[in-house]
Amino acid sequence: MGIEGKIVEDIVKRFGDKVRAEVQRERRVKFYIDPINIKPLLYYLKEKGFIHLSSISCVDWIKENQFELVYHLWSYEDKVHLMVKTKISRENPEMETMIPVFPVAETYEREIYEMFGVSFPGNPNLKPLFLEDWDGPPPMRKDFDTRAYVREKYGMIDLTEILRQGMDKIKGVRDEDEIL
Amino acid sequence: MVLKIIEYLGIVFGVIILGLLYGGIARKVIARIHRRYGPPFYQNILDVLKLFAKSNEASHGVMFNLGPVIAFTGVLVSLFFIPLGSFRPLFSFEGDIFVVFYLLVVAPLGMALGAGEGANPNATIGIARGLTLMLGYELVFFLSVLAPMIHYRTASIATLVTVQSAFPHWNVFPFFISAFAGLIALHGMMGEKPFDQVIAPHEIASGPMVEYSGKFLGLLQLYHAVGIIVETGLVVDIFFGGGNWLTFILKTFFLFITLVIINAVMPRFRIGQAVKFYWKYPLVISLIGLLIVAIWR
Amino acid sequence: MGLFKFAQSRSLWMMHFCTGCGAVEMPPTMTSRFDMERFGIAPMATPRQADILLITGYLTVKTLKRVIRSYEQMPDPKYVIGFGSCTLNGGMYWDSYNTIKRLDLYLPVDIYINGCMPRPEAIIEAFVKLREIIAKGEANGWKKYKENIKWYKENQAKVFDVKKWSVIKWE
Repeated sequence: MGIEGKIVEDIVKRFGDKVRAEVQRERRVKFYIDPINIKPLLYYLKEKGFIHLSSISCVDWIKENQFELVYHLWSYEDKVHLMVKTKISRENPEMETMIPVFPVAETYEREIYEMFGVSFPGNPNLKPLFLEDWDGPPPMRKDFDTRAYVREKYGMIDLTEILRQGMDKIKGVRDEDEIL
Repeated sequence: MVLKIIEYLGIVFGVIILGLLYGGIARKVIARIHRRYGPPFYQNILDVLKLFAKSNEASHGVMFNLGPVIAFTGVLVSLFFIPLGSFRPLFSFEGDIFVVFYLLVVAPLGMALGAGEGANPNATIGIARGLTLMLGYELVFFLSVLAPMIHYRTASIATLVTVQSAFPHWNVFPFFISAFAGLIALHGMMGEKPFDQVIAPHEIASGPMVEYSGKFLGLLQLYHAVGIIVETGLVVDIFFGGGNWLTFILKTFFLFITLVIINAVMPRFRIGQAVKFYWKYPLVISLIGLLIVAIWR
Repeated sequence: MGLFKFAQSRSLWMMHFCTGCGAVEMPPTMTSRFDMERFGIAPMATPRQADILLITGYLTVKTLKRVIRSYEQMPDPKYVIGFGSCTLNGGMYWDSYNTIKRLDLYLPVDIYINGCMPRPEAIIEAFVKLREIIAKGEANGWKKYKENIKWYKENQAKVFDVKKWSVIKWE
């Protein structure tokens, strides 16, 4: 069973039905939980030795109309990587801030607010991080049309179009064998 | 009278060109030590010409503009007290060594006023370091120069030159301990590594020169060029026996190249380490030199 | 005067502004193997002391604002070299929402070096060509910027808020 099994047993004993656990492989464990119960779970995991919040990432499930937030935790003693996953709605996405548990979450939440538009009430520092003078929708969402935006703002030179025109010209004039 | 003015203007022009050539040759020597070709030996002259052809510089007020002017004037006036080879100095009297020491301090103080006006923290740090370093080398240099002054009972550079006539009578042989301390102090005065905390190009972005551009920077390069000749010339006059114009040029050149070779291979001290160093060994060496002179008398 | 033009072409001071990935090609060019100092080019720390602004790679909007401020702080005459294909047509980031695609619309460029990344030999050839056009008197990017400043500022306004950021007055 190993350490991963022990951790899963511990959490399931404590939280019961609210959490669903899965051991992916050696040193990788996933937990699926509702947004309401995430803070007690993170507090408990922090006591158990998972003191390092490596990152918070966000996945855009556009067909299911949901955002999935993943909290990556690492334990120095057990050397296990945990992924705690929650799903929130895509309309007016909002999530409680995890700064009381891990103060470093402030920067990760700031990035997710800028790139996906998920707001974290309670985070005092939701200012833009990378994009200065940004005037469009959050760029990492799947319904953000990058090429149309770039064509309008920067006057993009469409390299695929130029390449296609060039290839048509070559195909009309010579044989394929002659090029090689 | 008019002839004298033309002669001295010619000397100033010659010293400026010579200082710039020395700087260019120094860059070539450093490059060859790094196993690469360097810029042509007249590169510093081209740099100064380019800087004087610039326009649209930014200025922070009158005091800012006057900073380089005060620096250049200070070192130029001290040039007139130093015998350069066979050219007698413009002013020569008992006690002119003290005047030269005083004038060599005017230049960094002028730069300090100008750099302070620029309101750039890099400039403030650079100038603070420069004035702190001066606390180190000024004392050592003065004590090492004091030894021949006491022995010959004179305080005039021209007299010190005339008492050392030919090769075996150079002052460096009887006073070699004081000369050694004096050379270490000269290394700091010229701002060569390991004592170039003032300029420190990659640390504080050129120190006090950070806000100057165009013509002001050209004036600062000229200040540095004349400073080379003045400081090495002073040491050559006191310890290595002036000589005529050709041997004077050769002596200052070899002294300068020795400092440049040490500069090319050493890193930089921290400012605290530099001042502590100066107050430890060179100070003790120069005091020993003084003691020997006192006992010998 | 011929002497001043000769001096201006033989002594170019480069500003040490390393923008994108291309900055990694500058240390080999500066050090012993492909020595750059023998052409009279030395790196300088501040824009006030520099002649050449070397844009080595892609520019995001955040960097573009700072580059324009540095360019406007340099004294005349000044030259811009666009380095790498990202300054020509966007290069590898041609469809990115945050980088600019053509440097020519925002700053006057004198010489482009293409490649991703150009080798030090290509960089040295560009410096030699820059030296030739300065000696002939054809490197007038800074004059173009002053005369067409409204056009440049309009292009810059499409990308960021020029009125709040710019330090020079152009109207």
